[in-house]
Amino acid sequence: MSRVAYYPGCSLHGTARELESSFVGTAVKLGVDLVEIPGWECCGNTAAHATNRLLATALPANEMAKVKDDMGLERVAVPCAACFARFMATNHEVEDADTAHDVAQVVGRPYAGGVGVLNLVDFYHDEVGLEALEAKAVRPFAGLKVAAYYGCLLTRPPKITLAEDPEYPTHMDEVLETLGCEPVEWTFKTDCCGASLALCEQAVVVELVRKIIVNARACGAQAIACACPLCQVNLDSRQGDIKKTDPSWIDVPIVYLSQFVGRAIGVGAADLGLKKHMVAAEALLA
Amino acid sequence: MTTTIDATLARRVNRGSGENAYKCYQCKKCSTGCPVAGFGDLHPAQIMRAVQLGAVEAAVDSRFIWLCTGCETCTTRCPQGIDIAAIMDELRMIAREEHRVRSDAPFANILKLNYDSFRRWGRLYEVELLALDKATRLSSLTDDVVMGIRMFLKGKINPLPTFGDRAQMKRMTDVADRINRDKRAVSRAMDLPDTASLPPASPGGVR
Ligand code: SF4
Ligand code: SF4
Repeated sequence: MSRVAYYPGCSLHGTARELESSFVGTAVKLGVDLVEIPGWECCGNTAAHATNRLLATALPANEMAKVKDDMGLERVAVPCAACFARFMATNHEVEDADTAHDVAQVVGRPYAGGVGVLNLVDFYHDEVGLEALEAKAVRPFAGLKVAAYYGCLLTRPPKITLAEDPEYPTHMDEVLETLGCEPVEWTFKTDCCGASLALCEQAVVVELVRKIIVNARACGAQAIACACPLCQVNLDSRQGDIKKTDPSWIDVPIVYLSQFVGRAIGVGAADLGLKKHMVAAEALLA
Repeated sequence: MTTTIDATLARRVNRGSGENAYKCYQCKKCSTGCPVAGFGDLHPAQIMRAVQLGAVEAAVDSRFIWLCTGCETCTTRCPQGIDIAAIMDELRMIAREEHRVRSDAPFANILKLNYDSFRRWGRLYEVELLALDKATRLSSLTDDVVMGIRMFLKGKINPLPTFGDRAQMKRMTDVADRINRDKRAVSRAMDLPDTASLPPASPGGVR
């Protein structure tokens, strides 16, 4: 059994509680021991890096110092794509000695990098591995067509995320295929959903979301898989707004990768949390 | 509109972000990949040109810098390796420092409330952020109310905060704010003012 530190991040205790319950539920079944970082704090998100770069680098450094020095672990699972990007950015920034010096002053102890960071896709693709996942998939899907939606921060910018193929990634597709789904080829894999502009520039976000879903559907997808709380909330909840001007709109369920995995390996309905979604997804994953 | 040319702008952006705007050769790839290029006043390549020229109003006062989602597409694709998203962040910092955030930039309010929220609780408290935004930005009052209620009923929204290590968060934000403030003050003092104002172009004067 492997042991990995676990950083939920604020969204997983807010609008993405079903990501937390499904993720933890799958980890238990897959035999990965997740150890939550004690007293974890916000990663700082966009608000920190658009206000104070040093703080934006220091907040994840504080968490990773705990992982390394207090918990004695080498890897941390960070299921939120936005938090993941901040953790990876910190590992990149502390390579610079001046930055590392300032970060140590803020955190109260040094952190010089060295903790591996796993996003939701990495967790299943690399930590668990496709073979082990296939062996545990007792209820595989029967060719459900799914568009794997990566959004921005799982892969960009590649010098930070170290993504192999930042423009047209395939690891999430491979995980879905292992579960018996049929991933579709489509255009908007890594396009932006509008992220937190959803809180104040609704018209922009509705248009970005509409383009993404129209393309997924045109390419044959019955559902969209995602690995980011902002992507899920925007794509799921904004279809209601689209319908106001387009009554012929056909809803497409937006489902976390961990919910697909959970359904296939037999995680219970309560942990899957599909009831929380605005666009009904339960029938498709029943 | 008068045009102010501040020859120190690109240097200030460089000291804050580490990025050199003069490397931009206007291929405009950043703009073609930008999800919000068509929704603002300018697009990213125009912002880059404005920074090079020191055209403060065009760059710092643009609505575009408050529409940028930070998606990093521009940064990933720029053939000159410029971190354009970091330059957008820097322009937002300059706008706030110089109290020139435009009134139709609601994202500025969201960012500030977000910062205050995680500073207060150790974690971001989403419900409080939304409530305070509605309280401080009247135009948001009616936004998404029905959707919010539906999400709440489905159990999508957690009404309660959860707490991080608040003492450590307070310590970290205090120290980081102090170091950041000092560094930016030094940076500002490094340039002598080098600014000129051009009068508005006279109508019909272009041949
Ligand atoms: S992609 Fe880079 S070089 Fe091209 S216009 Fe944009 S900033 Fe300039
Ligand atoms: S980071 Fe900002 S400027 Fe760059 S492509 Fe994304 S939205 Fe456009």
